Parts: sequence; structure tokens; C-alpha cells
Amino acid sequence: MALEPKQKAALFAAAAAVRLLLFQTFPSLPDRLTGRVELSTPVSSFKRLQEGLYLYTHNVSPYDGGVYHQAPLLLPLFSLLPNASDHPFATNLLFTIVDLLSAHALAQIADSGCAAATRLFKSSRHGLRWSSAAIVAGFLFNPFTLATCMARSTTTLTNLFILTAMAKACHGASTTFLLAISAASYLAMHPILLFPPLLVLLYDARAEKSQTAPNPWVFTSVHTLGLFVVGGSLLFASALLTGSWDFLEATYGVRLLLPDLTPNVGLWWYFFTEMFDSFRDFFLGVFWLHVASYTPGLTIRLRTQPLFVATTLTGIFAIFTPYPSVADAALYLSLVPLFRHLFPLMRYTFLASAAVLYASFLGPAFYHLWVYAGSGNANFFYAITLVWSLGLSIIVGDSLFAALRDELDVQRPELRDKEVKRI
Amino acid sequence: MALLATLLALRNDARILKIPPYLSAFLILIGVAWLLVLPLDEYSRNTYVSENALLPGQVHTYFTGSEHDVFRAYRHEVAGLVDLPAQQRSDKLSELLRASNLKVATQKYTYTPSGRNISDENVYAVLQGPRADATEAIVLMASLKTMDGEHNYSGVALVLALARYFKRWSLWSKDIIFLISGDSTSGPQAWVDAYHDAHDPTTIESLALKSGALQGAVGVEYPAGPWGHRYDKLHIVYDGTNGQLPNLDLFNTAVNIASGQMGIGCTLQRMWHHGNSYPERLQTMLRGMLSQGLGHATGPHSAFIPYHVDAITLVTVGDGWHDEMGLGRTVESLFRSLNNLLEHLHQSFFFYLLLEAKRFVSIGTYLPSAMLIAANFSITAIALWVRSGRPQEPTPNPAATKPVPRSASQDAATESDHKRKEQEQSQQEDERKAVEHSTVIAIKDGATAIIPTEVLQISERPLFLPTAFVIIAHFLGLIPLAAFNHIPVEELRSSFLLAANLTTLLPLATAYFLSQFNRPTHQESTLIHCFSLLFLGMYLSALATLNFSQSLIVGLLTAPLSFVRRGKGGLVTALQFALLVAINPVMVVNSATYLSKVELLDVLVKAAEGWHIWGMWTQVVVWLVWWPAWFCGSVVVALGLF
Repeated sequence: MALEPKQKAALFAAAAAVRLLLFQTFPSLPDRLTGRVELSTPVSSFKRLQEGLYLYTHNVSPYDGGVYHQAPLLLPLFSLLPNASDHPFATNLLFTIVDLLSAHALAQIADSGCAAATRLFKSSRHGLRWSSAAIVAGFLFNPFTLATCMARSTTTLTNLFILTAMAKACHGASTTFLLAISAASYLAMHPILLFPPLLVLLYDARAEKSQTAPNPWVFTSVHTLGLFVVGGSLLFASALLTGSWDFLEATYGVRLLLPDLTPNVGLWWYFFTEMFDSFRDFFLGVFWLHVASYTPGLTIRLRTQPLFVATTLTGIFAIFTPYPSVADAALYLSLVPLFRHLFPLMRYTFLASAAVLYASFLGPAFYHLWVYAGSGNANFFYAITLVWSLGLSIIVGDSLFAALRDELDVQRPELRDKEVKRI
Repeated sequence: MALLATLLALRNDARILKIPPYLSAFLILIGVAWLLVLPLDEYSRNTYVSENALLPGQVHTYFTGSEHDVFRAYRHEVAGLVDLPAQQRSDKLSELLRASNLKVATQKYTYTPSGRNISDENVYAVLQGPRADATEAIVLMASLKTMDGEHNYSGVALVLALARYFKRWSLWSKDIIFLISGDSTSGPQAWVDAYHDAHDPTTIESLALKSGALQGAVGVEYPAGPWGHRYDKLHIVYDGTNGQLPNLDLFNTAVNIASGQMGIGCTLQRMWHHGNSYPERLQTMLRGMLSQGLGHATGPHSAFIPYHVDAITLVTVGDGWHDEMGLGRTVESLFRSLNNLLEHLHQSFFFYLLLEAKRFVSIGTYLPSAMLIAANFSITAIALWVRSGRPQEPTPNPAATKPVPRSASQDAATESDHKRKEQEQSQQEDERKAVEHSTVIAIKDGATAIIPTEVLQISERPLFLPTAFVIIAHFLGLIPLAAFNHIPVEELRSSFLLAANLTTLLPLATAYFLSQFNRPTHQESTLIHCFSLLFLGMYLSALATLNFSQSLIVGLLTAPLSFVRRGKGGLVTALQFALLVAINPVMVVNSATYLSKVELLDVLVKAAEGWHIWGMWTQVVVWLVWWPAWFCGSVVVALGLF
């Protein structure tokens, strides 16, 4: 069921056409979407990127003024393009291409089939899957992906690197995997938490390829070292570019310490607006620990299904990181269809999708009431972000249940289709 | 989750599927009944001014005596200039305002909705508050024409007289802007858009003179001619565009001052005689809801409310003994109250339904009714979802313990499947084995029952066609939306007739077309219905928070969609389809204009005007929420006819 070149070309052409057509026919739409808090966070907003770019091209440190919180290496890339407010076409084309490359990576993941069958685990329902074309179409024509692309959020770049890292890990390509995961972590920091499960995935792929499994200790240390080397050189290049190490505080410092409390679809901003300053450090620690704690737990428990762990982690990021946006949810929701074999075991699909749908309509309505109409308040929007997160966490929890149940079906075939209770 | 699991376990109970239609009907009934009890004393409250700073009616008003002569002189001046061309008229008005030592500016504007040309000129003056730092301003305005199209002689004269009078006071701690707009809705809209730099500078002139953030606006409509006319009551108009309302404190202050301090009775929603009985309260509420639900501009104040500037219009009505000075003193006192404000009006309610001038229902009390009606769609959607996962044909012999032989076609399908997917063969056989155990013995509460397995199995749902269909239906709505907003006036009526015919025939044509391909299957049509209702429920619950009345009205008019089902032809299906034809949004608009004796063309023209000038969203709701839901439901029913 691999993606045929013709089919792929048609899909990609259609997706590119839709994007460019939208950019062309509604010239004010990108700017309007860029201003939406659901799509643009302080660490991914295109507006802030433009501000940083302006400072950068005028030989001022882009981090002066405290508006720009994105990676320094984005600046030379975007300074090559003509100014987005005068000649938006080049920028639009870049974001369209980024989406297509992400789709390409997603197609590679789907083609590899490592979602349902890995070296150590083969789902009892592994025959049940959607074609790569359907999965790629689900990503390219997902309204969330489209909106993110139109908003020109730099999270699309992070998503591209995450998907590429997954694809390369599925195919056992060490070097490109290391480059991609380092780039993703360099851009957004939290993707580094994907390294352990993807390393397991890479190891499995390599072991399958070469018949003799490489020594896990050597493998791990070599790749960890590789990650440090590539990541370190990216950071070093950034320091050379900006002339100082100040960018660390303005980029990763902002993500870690949450100084900018602009509302977003996540759960952090409201907590930290309400919190007394004396508790701030403690809760920052607790919240980050919570996000990070999923990686070891899931990787150990589901070590036989590393791609599922990585997917679930992207879902966790979409809910629990400090500056999540719809873009993160779009990534997760595009990866979930890879696990079609788990769908029959999921119990709350309708509930979860209804919650996500309702939240995506009520969210903008409540934000309007709060900010524009003035007849609501912050609690309105926060309530909807709770529903949104609830919807996503139901999907995360339910798919985890399904994965465990699927594992049980393999281990104990006689229990298949029987009701089981955990004692 | 544990609770959900228990609830989900209930799915196996066949009776559960019988409940939703009754539950939906019950929710609608409760929703309507809820609305009907609101006017009772137990569910409504007396209004009260909750912002302490306002202190309504606490000041002595001095707009009397010789000011009356000034006013009469202005009224004659206004009577002389209303028929002049815009340019000369503006010059004269500017001259009058400048003579009161105010800074004056004008603003030209042109709108061209549905091929018409609406162009005129606004004149406005800014009184710099002696104690103000130009950060806040309040607006007093009168349009040259009232909402009913009469000349607003005395209203404009009153603004001029008050401008001259206010200028002499030293107590203003906010700037006061006096606005005389060309017409009653587009003039203020052009002005307030330009004030917030949200205008199109090619057709609407930018403002040469500005002040601080607007804190409130009061419009005056007093169409008495040069020789005066004594009025009976003040009609307070408060609905903004898209059903947004001003803060209740502003309304309360106006009522408090007019009736408490000046002894002028207040009325609302064109209820000229209000005896405060249950039917009258209900009627007032329903009129308010209708006005809110239509989302149109109801006066010069409407343009201000979307900018979060609380605004009302005072209109004089009837024959009585109150004179212009009473109105002037009311406005004076109202401005003294607004002058006291320390912060933006925020204390009181933004969402309310008024029953009479001194009684209201707050959002917490009335919102459940719209939410219940929106929830009815969600419940039906869930029920249809569950149903779509059940076997579509009834089990021929539910009590048989041996497997029912499969029909030939199904067998053939399975055969070909076997050939295609060798690797899945073992899996299929497993399923076959499972089916052979065609009954399940359920023991519950000491009773034993034999249930056919088929009833308990959840069949795979084909999602592509239903999703695509529902999405396409929503996009189809864009065509009439764009068309009605851009068709010139002369062709509006004929296009409306065309739309009425096309929208009625389209479901039939679609159903016939689809039935040629034997699609959608029964399961798919159930899913189409399910998704369209799910979307409808979602839109309406989101809309209920923005414009409660609109959501309720659309919810009630689409309620039958919860109860129609795809039948097998015959009288029932035909009757269902006839019912749906009657609630076609286009037909509803048609019958509503017929019943309320409003010219259809006026409605269409106003709608296009609303879209282009006022920023009204009603037609978006009609064409992108209401119509697609109706279309999907009608196609599902029409499928039964073929």
C-alpha cells in the first residue's frame, strides 16, 4: 500500500494548489491568522519573527526588546527571502514546501509500516491500516494544518523536523535522524524528549536491517554523542551568528521560565497568571517535570512500539508544554491515523472528536467575547482550553489503552474480544 | 472514565436507542417552557444600578429657562438646512457648532451595497473637558434622519443646544463629542469605524479630529418639526449589531433618570403600552429576542456597541405633556452620570433580556434554554452515531440459536475479499467462528436472556462519503451568501425566487443523482445526518454565547431535523419532506416577511447593507449553519423517495 508516485504527485499538487490559492485569494487571511493566539504563540509567531528579522537586518541583536523568542538560525534563512509584507509569495511558497516535505516524511513513516509491526512486536490486527495516501491527505488537508501553514507559524518547521526524524528512524538512517532530531530540539527544545523512543525505533530498524543487532550500549552512546555534537554545533553557530550566548536565555529561557503569559491553547498561562510569585519557581519545576516524566515511563513500558510512544509524546506536547498551539495538535492528529489497527479498541473516539470539534469552534467565540466584545473574561477562554486539552488527552489516554490491550491480545490470544478487568 | 465506561456498557441495552428521539423532544419542550416562565416574578429580577460611580439623578439639572429659547432658535435653523445639499448643510452646521467655541470637523462617506449609492456627510465637534486629559470621551449624537425616515429636527437642535450649554460648564472630566450624522445607521458606522481606524480610506474619509477612548454614546431621535411637539414617553433602543447589547448599567441609568428624576415614562421594544402583565412582559421579551436574533442595526447607537462602546438611543414617542427641555435635562443628567465614571462600564450585565423598563432576566437564567435546544441536536447526533454502528437490516429471526445463512451477495463479497487479501484470511475465519456463536447469553439481575450476537456487534463505519458530503454542503452555502451580498437591487427579488426554487429542488435532485449509484447506503445516510446534526449542535452552542436569540431562533426552526429519518418512501416520507420544504431557510424568510407584512425586497436590501456596512453576521449563520443542516437533512429524507 505504498504511496504511488502518481498518486503522490496528485496529492501534493492539490495540497500546494489549495495553499497557494488560499494565500492568493485571501491576502489578508495570513495576517489575520497570524494574530490568532490559537495559532501563534510567543515562541512561534510569524509576527515576532518579522520583528526579529527587522532588528537582525539592521544589525541590532534580535533579542533586544524582548519580542523575539525563536531560534537565531531562522533569521539568516528568512532574511534571504524578500520582505513578507511587501512580497509575501516567497514566504508563502516556503511554508507550502515545508508542509509538503512534512507530508513526504509522513508518507515514508506510513510506508515503512513500523506503526503496526516492529522488530519485537506485531499487532494482531496489523493488516488493518489506511493507505499512505489517505494518511498523507489527512495531514495535508487537515484544517488545523492548513490554518497553521496560513498563519506561517514556525512550529511547521519543528513539525517537519520531528516527522523527518521519525521517518529516518523508521528507516534506520542514523545520520539524517541525528540531524533532524537535533534541528527539531534546537528549534523548540521539547522535541529532545522524543530522542529516547526514536533511538529505540532506530535501533530496531538497524537491527532488522543488519541481521545482527548492534550492541545497545555502544549504539546508545554513539548516538547520544552524535546528538550532542550536532546540537552543540547548531548552538555554537547561533552564538557565532548573534555574537553572544544571550540567545539561550531569550529562546530556551523563555520556554523554561514562561515570562510571557500571552494566552494560548495550553494549560500553563492561566495558572501562572493566577499564581503568587513565591510559588512560581516550584510550579515551573513541577510542570516541566510532569511533561518530561512521560518520556522514560512510556519508553520503558512500550519499548516494543517506539513509534507509538513518540506519537503519544507529541500528543502530550500538544497538551502539556508551556506554549502549545493548534500546530502541535495538528502534528499529533496527523500521526494518530498511522495506528488504524488500534481504532477498533478505542472506546471514546466519538466523544474525543466531538470535544475537539466543539472546542475549536467555542474557543474563538469565547476569545472574541473576552478580548473584542469585552462581555466575557479570561475564564471563558481558559474553560475552552480545558475542554480542548480534555479532548486531546482522551485521545492520548484512549489510544494508550488500545495499545496496551492490543499488546495483551498478542500475548494472550485467547482473551481476544473478551472483556478484561485490571486487578 | 469509570463513569463513562459504565455508561458505555449500557450501549448493549437495545432499549437505549429508543430513548433519544423522546429525549430530544423533551429537551426542546423544556427549552421552550423555560423561556415561557422567564417573565414570571420568580425568574426575573428588578434592575439596579451596580456601578457606584454613576449616581444617577443625583445632580440638579440647569438646562431650562433661556436655554429653551436657544433651543427653539436652533430648531428653526435646523428646519432651514435639512433639505440643503450635504456640503452646504455641513458648512452651516459647522458654523453653528463653531459659534459655540468648539473644534469642528466633517467626514464624507460613501457606501455602495447592492449597487446602491449611500453617501452623505457627518459633522462633529469635540468639547475638550476642562478637567480632562483627552484620554476618554463620551458621544452625544443625532442623525438628520430618524430610523423611521423622518427628519430629526428637534433631535439635531437638541444636540446643538446642549453643545452650547455643555461648553459653559467647567465640570467635565471627559471630552464630549457631538456628532450629527448624515443618516441613522451608516453615518455613525462610518464615523465610529474611522474613529478606530478600521475604515476603508478610499470611500470613507479619515477623521481630522479625535479624542480619547470612547466610554459611552447616547443618540437622540426627536422628530418634532420647527413648531415643536410634546411627547408621552421615551423609547429606549439598546440592541447593537449582531445582537450585542450595551452594559445594563447604561440602560438602567437612563431609565432611572428619565422616570425617577424627570418623571418621563420609559418604554422599550416598541411596546407603547406596557401594563407589566405576564403577556406584555413575554411580548417585550420576544420582541427583544427577535430584534437581537436578526442582528440588525436598530439605531445610531448600534454601530458603537461592536467597538465595546456602550450606547443607547432615546426616541420620543406618542402625544403627551413632556417637552424638549425634559429630554434635554435627561440627557444632561445622563452625561453628568457618565462623566462620573472612573472606568469603563463593566459592573453590570452584558447579556440580558429586558421584560420591561425595570425588570430583566440575566444570562444565567435564560441561557439554558438555548443550550438545551442546541443539546438536542448533539444527542440525536450521538444516537445516530450509535445506530450507524448497528446492523442496518433487522435480524430476520432474533430468537434463532443457529446462524442465519448469509445472503448471496454478502458471500460473494467475502469471496472476493478472500482472494484479494490472502493474509487476512485467518482473521476472517476467526470472525466467522465468532459469528457462529450467534447468540450470547446475558444474565442480569437474576434474569437470563438470549441475545443475537449481531445486535451486539459494532460494524465498521464508512466515514469518507458522509464527511465529504457534509463539508461540501457547508461550502455550497458560500454561493448564495456571496450572491445575495453582491447582486444589485433590481435583481434581488428575482434571485430570491430563483434561490427559493433551487434550494427546494436541490435536495431532490441530489438524492436522485446519488440514488443512481446506489449510494449513500442506509448507514452512510445515517452518518450524513449524524454529522450535520453534530455540526449544527456545535455551531448553535457556540452561537448561543455570542447571540443567544439567534441561536434559539435557528435552533427552533431546525428542530424538526432531529426527528426526520430516511424512510422507505410512502406517505410518511412525503410528509416529512413537505415539512422540510416548509422550513427551508429561504421559505422561512419568505413566510416571515409575509406574516409581518414587511416588504421582502427591503429585507434583502437591508441584509446586504448590513453585510457591507454594519458588519452583520446574520446571513453567515443562515447560509453556512442553517442552510447546510437543512440541506443534509432534506437529502437524507429525499433519499427515501427514490
